[in-house]
Amino acid sequence: MYEGIKRIGPYEWEVPTGFVPGMRVPGRFFLSEKLAETLEEGAVQQLANVATMPGIVKNSLAMPDIHWGYGFPIGGVAAFDMEEGVISPGGVGFDINCGVRLLATPLRVPDLKKRQELVERLFSAVPTGVGAKSSLRLAGRDLLEMLMKGSRWAVDQGFGTESDLEYCEEGGCMKEADTAHVSDKARRRGLPQSGTLGAGNHFLEIQVVREIFDQDAANAYGLAEGQVCVMIHCGSRGLGHQICTDHLKELEAATKRYQIHLPDRQLACSPLDSPEGRAYFGAMAAAANYAWANRQVIMHNVRKVLADMYGIGYEDQKLVYDVAHNVAKFEEHTVDGKSMRLCIHRKGATRAFGPKAPDIPAAYTSIGQPVLIPGSMGTSSYVLHGTAMAMEKSFGSTCHGAGRVMSRSKARKSLKGKEVRDSLASEGILVRAPSIGALADEAPEVYKPSREVVQVVHEVGLSKLVARMEPLGVIKG
Amino acid sequence: MTYKELEHTADVKIRVVAPSLEALFGEAACALMEVKYGAVDAGPVRYPITVDADDPVSLVHDFLSELLYISEVENLVVASADVSIRGGHLEGELYGERFDPAKHSGGTEVKGISYSGLSIHRDKENYILEVIFDV
Repeated sequence: MYEGIKRIGPYEWEVPTGFVPGMRVPGRFFLSEKLAETLEEGAVQQLANVATMPGIVKNSLAMPDIHWGYGFPIGGVAAFDMEEGVISPGGVGFDINCGVRLLATPLRVPDLKKRQELVERLFSAVPTGVGAKSSLRLAGRDLLEMLMKGSRWAVDQGFGTESDLEYCEEGGCMKEADTAHVSDKARRRGLPQSGTLGAGNHFLEIQVVREIFDQDAANAYGLAEGQVCVMIHCGSRGLGHQICTDHLKELEAATKRYQIHLPDRQLACSPLDSPEGRAYFGAMAAAANYAWANRQVIMHNVRKVLADMYGIGYEDQKLVYDVAHNVAKFEEHTVDGKSMRLCIHRKGATRAFGPKAPDIPAAYTSIGQPVLIPGSMGTSSYVLHGTAMAMEKSFGSTCHGAGRVMSRSKARKSLKGKEVRDSLASEGILVRAPSIGALADEAPEVYKPSREVVQVVHEVGLSKLVARMEPLGVIKG
Repeated sequence: MTYKELEHTADVKIRVVAPSLEALFGEAACALMEVKYGAVDAGPVRYPITVDADDPVSLVHDFLSELLYISEVENLVVASADVSIRGGHLEGELYGERFDPAKHSGGTEVKGISYSGLSIHRDKENYILEVIFDV
């Protein structure tokens, strides 16, 4: 471990104040010894830098999938108080509300005949890849509604059911959305991309529940061993990227205007209660809504394909839950015995609210919210549940995924996309992508094993294992 | 290839070397497009670009961000950029071809241009740009 970092538990490490000048609180991260071998010094530095920001409460935190990001580390969680605190696009990321949803079907593996055809039909039904365009023909007015209402907009258009809304974090809509701060550029990028999956690490996966760790929680979530599920991982596409780019520029100026001294210009931020801070928050919330609507539209297309191919009902395919991985939100938390309203930044981290916490579907309230952790292509994904421990230690937050260990350039040098596809096929995993060559970028070996990451949050108690799913078919962006 | 990809685990870091600032920006544009679309070829489409910023580093950041935007909304895969730079003002033309899914789907989605690690240096003969694309 790097010099100056203190181990304070089997999986907990502290970055003391003074690690970088100006830290207001200590940093803290959760990591096994094995994962510590791949920890980048730059990521620790970023964790410490976040601790210098005005109004930060208790700790600058990072989950076990910590790695070097833009301003904040990926896997970073930070809470800011309402008086002195700030909001920072670097604490959310370019892909606002990149997130995951899980659809549980009534199908079992033996029902899944013609799997190759299923993969092809899903690939046709969901626009995928760099430059993918929507089959929806939206007018500007539709886009504004989508930005204001999120999943609700999609359901009103016939892309889902009323009950889907209950099974989304925030009900699939952040009410603070303000389209006045969404630029024309962002709108122009967003219009043709609604309902598209995008590229990079985004995917649509047919999965089977292979292992149940917690039967009561699995029952509550409607998951059983051998059941076929579909996982959708995507975000707010070019609209979110543009909002981040636009507001970073504004907030850079605001950082100077409000004389906020930061060790890194990527931490550009503005007081929560400033016109610039409110503008970013409103635009970010609109992008989050766009992402929720996107995942809703994609799920609708998946349900139609499954209903058509296997004769199952549209409404018999239940949304288990939808979580955001990149977002900032206002939440109530108890800090040192006192209830506080805070702005929580989660960047590559998942909300993990425990039993009886607010904003959890009634059916899950005794268990805590589902936490969905996508695996990399070809590896297991996990469902966990939120815990009281997460409320106490990490502002109700946990990890979000695996994190890369190999660069894209190295991956392309050492792996061939076709071989990656064939090797997965030999394990019974069918992969479809617009470009087979690009599959090398996302091969299983370029990521940390998600099991390692998930095991750490399970051991610490930031969330608890419920189920493990294995992929059967993958649509890659 | 006129740029070099440097080692970076999570994102794409590149180095571009060129004899003038204008050529440097042109090569950087080409690199961004090659990362995003895999294959880039000269084509019949022209598109104007204008960017203003306070300093060369901000200018290249905003230029590449603007290129991402134009490329997406105009369905344009840019193969070269002919720009002139006076202080913080850049103007010029982008040249390329229309986006074709069959040809241009082999790249990596670039979400944004990072300020982290962004630098322009000069040695005796050349300008050297290092930039990270957030992917």
